[in-house]
Amino acid sequence: MVPDVSAPMQIKNGELIMDADRAVLNAYDASGVEEALVLKEADGGAVIVVSVGPAKAAETLRKALAMGADSAVHITTEGVEGAGEFDSDSYAKILAAYYGEQEYDTLFFGKQSQDTDAGLTGSMVAELLGIPYVSNAVGITREADGRFLVKRQGDSGQEIVDAGTGCLITCSNDMNEPRIPKLKGIMASKKKPLEVLTLSDLGVNAADVQPKTQITAYVEIPARQAGQKFSEGAAEDAGRVAELLEQNDLLS
Amino acid sequence: MIFIHLLTIQGGAIKRASLEVLARGRALADALNNNGQEVELHTVVCSPEVADWDEAKWAAELGAYGVDRVWSATDESFKEHNNQALLAAVQTAHAQATDQAAKPSLVAMASTEGVKDILGALSARLGASVVADVSEFGVVAEGDGLHLTAIRPVMASKAQTQVQTTAKHVMVSVRSGSYGILEEARGQEGGTPNHEPIKIELIKIEQGDSKLQTQIREIITAAADIIDLNEAETIVAAGRGVKDETAKALIAELAQCLNAGIGASRALTEAGIYDPSVQIGQTGKVVAPQLYIAVGISGAIQHVAGITNTKVIVAVNKDADAPIFEVANYGIVGDLYEVLPAFIAEIKRLKG
Ligand SMILES: Cc1cc2nc3c(=O)[nH]c(=O)nc-3n(C[C@H](O)[C@H](O)[C@H](O)COP(=O)(O)OP(=O)(O)OC[C@H]3O[C@@H](n4cnc5c(N)ncnc54)[C@H](O)[C@@H]3O)c2cc1C
Ligand SMILES: Nc1ncnc2c1ncn2[C@@H]1O[C@H](COP(=O)(O)O)[C@@H](O)[C@H]1O
Repeated sequence: MVPDVSAPMQIKNGELIMDADRAVLNAYDASGVEEALVLKEADGGAVIVVSVGPAKAAETLRKALAMGADSAVHITTEGVEGAGEFDSDSYAKILAAYYGEQEYDTLFFGKQSQDTDAGLTGSMVAELLGIPYVSNAVGITREADGRFLVKRQGDSGQEIVDAGTGCLITCSNDMNEPRIPKLKGIMASKKKPLEVLTLSDLGVNAADVQPKTQITAYVEIPARQAGQKFSEGAAEDAGRVAELLEQNDLLS
Repeated sequence: MIFIHLLTIQGGAIKRASLEVLARGRALADALNNNGQEVELHTVVCSPEVADWDEAKWAAELGAYGVDRVWSATDESFKEHNNQALLAAVQTAHAQATDQAAKPSLVAMASTEGVKDILGALSARLGASVVADVSEFGVVAEGDGLHLTAIRPVMASKAQTQVQTTAKHVMVSVRSGSYGILEEARGQEGGTPNHEPIKIELIKIEQGDSKLQTQIREIITAAADIIDLNEAETIVAAGRGVKDETAKALIAELAQCLNAGIGASRALTEAGIYDPSVQIGQTGKVVAPQLYIAVGISGAIQHVAGITNTKVIVAVNKDADAPIFEVANYGIVGDLYEVLPAFIAEIKRLKG
């Protein structure tokens, strides 16, 4: 669950104010759900979606159920001290406490959250659980023996990685086009199981998952000013801009 | 305090993004040293490409940055990216550099894909507080640890946050283009005067828990002659408006006469028209060149998020209302098939 980054927003006195308090399914997680559904359609199994967050998180879980996930787990942070300021470290510890008690073929995470772009939680959870991981996946296939073959985007090319099973994979949205839930799926999602757990159900103390990093203020990004626009005809415009670049010493 | 930087090496050379972080480390160390604190600048290298570098070579490459120590894990396993091997190496170097974590440390790295892959896991392993992908950072001693402050863009670069953390061990990854490299370090032979010779320590990595290992089966490398977008002073970027071979050839020609790297919007990397490694934006690379020429790119927030630190943006788009014009210093409203040939001819003429 992330706030909709395309919605209008303002910064007032160091705080971020979203005009509409709208939460959406993180695009990178939507790709994870899509990939899980494709694998399930091929090989069977079950897709379970998990979110840690306030009551609103349940809405995004419903969205994933409407896409076709089988069941959902909402680890609620309603009323938990400091939950409004939780960071990736906090969520990673909570998720590791949960997954430590579960069985799974693989865990899909988003490569990053659309609002913070932190990109930390996935590999933190893998480290805490002591399982292999691959990040920034742009494609996933499964071998006959159940091993996950992950194509990841690296610095200068793509790597095909054998991640085995019981691994964690963080997904890029370049992997697929997440399906849009159909009416039938939306209706069906209302009847699918959504389990609500509290931190104490997981044996987690709020004191142990307090954030390690604090946001002290939101500040404006020095806005880029729209500069000069030319529309006098291709040759003339191109000539003017080339000249301006030359004057600014940019034609190296 | 120990400032530790994981050096990014590619094609036998130290990446510019790495030198930017080291320059920042040098500036921080100088400021703190003047304040009576002792800061040592260390780098960790994990690359077989530098296995035969000797002290003189390291001094030539890093001398001007006042690096005190190089922890070198030049194991063959670093030929390919391998997150568990990297984690093990940095952990080993960190333990030795900090005297088994007794001394406070700041671990700073360039925000490359390789670093993004290990950042979270490394912070968990070192018990460090981490702030990812910052555009500025600073540090002061506090108690027996460090107080780190940083600035990082959020909300698809529509806002930024000031972030702080206090801990014995703190970590940051730094966006490329956030700091200049030390000018005098360029092409200079030998270290700075009054600097002790760099100490080189070889570290052996324990391959660790084999059940954590993943294995690379195959690498699909992008064409070798692609100019690295994080190093390029000029980038020509193509968007969906670049539909056919003619347009692609114009992009290539423009890039060639500006000695520019070629980037693309997601619309084109997704369509397989350009290599995925050149995607610019929130999901792709964040770049900060001197000049960015966006051709047939509408300017979606997720794309613009990757170019906000660019000095000058030029946009070519036939739609006068395209959002890219709101961030462009110079906008040309027109059809790229007409604008680019004229632009290329004019640039060639000006450059003589
Ligand atoms: C979570 C998330 C992450 C994303 N990450 C990225 C990312 O990292 N990078 C990225 O680029 N996108 C990213 N996107 C996608 C982004 O939202 C846009 O869909 C994408 O950037 C559009 O690419 P485009 O501008 O090339 O195409 P379009 O939006 O289709 O624009 C094409 C433009 O070309 C112009 N044009 C067409 N023909 C001509 C011509 N002959 N001459 C001149 N102009 C012409 C048109 O007027 C139009 O403005 C992301 C989206 C999401 C949801
Ligand atoms: N509160 C949470 N609940 C469930 N998953 C989360 C949560 N926070 C982070 N994640 C996962 O971690 C990914 C990256 O997180 P981040 O470190 O915030 O960029 C997300 O795409 C999710 O898959």
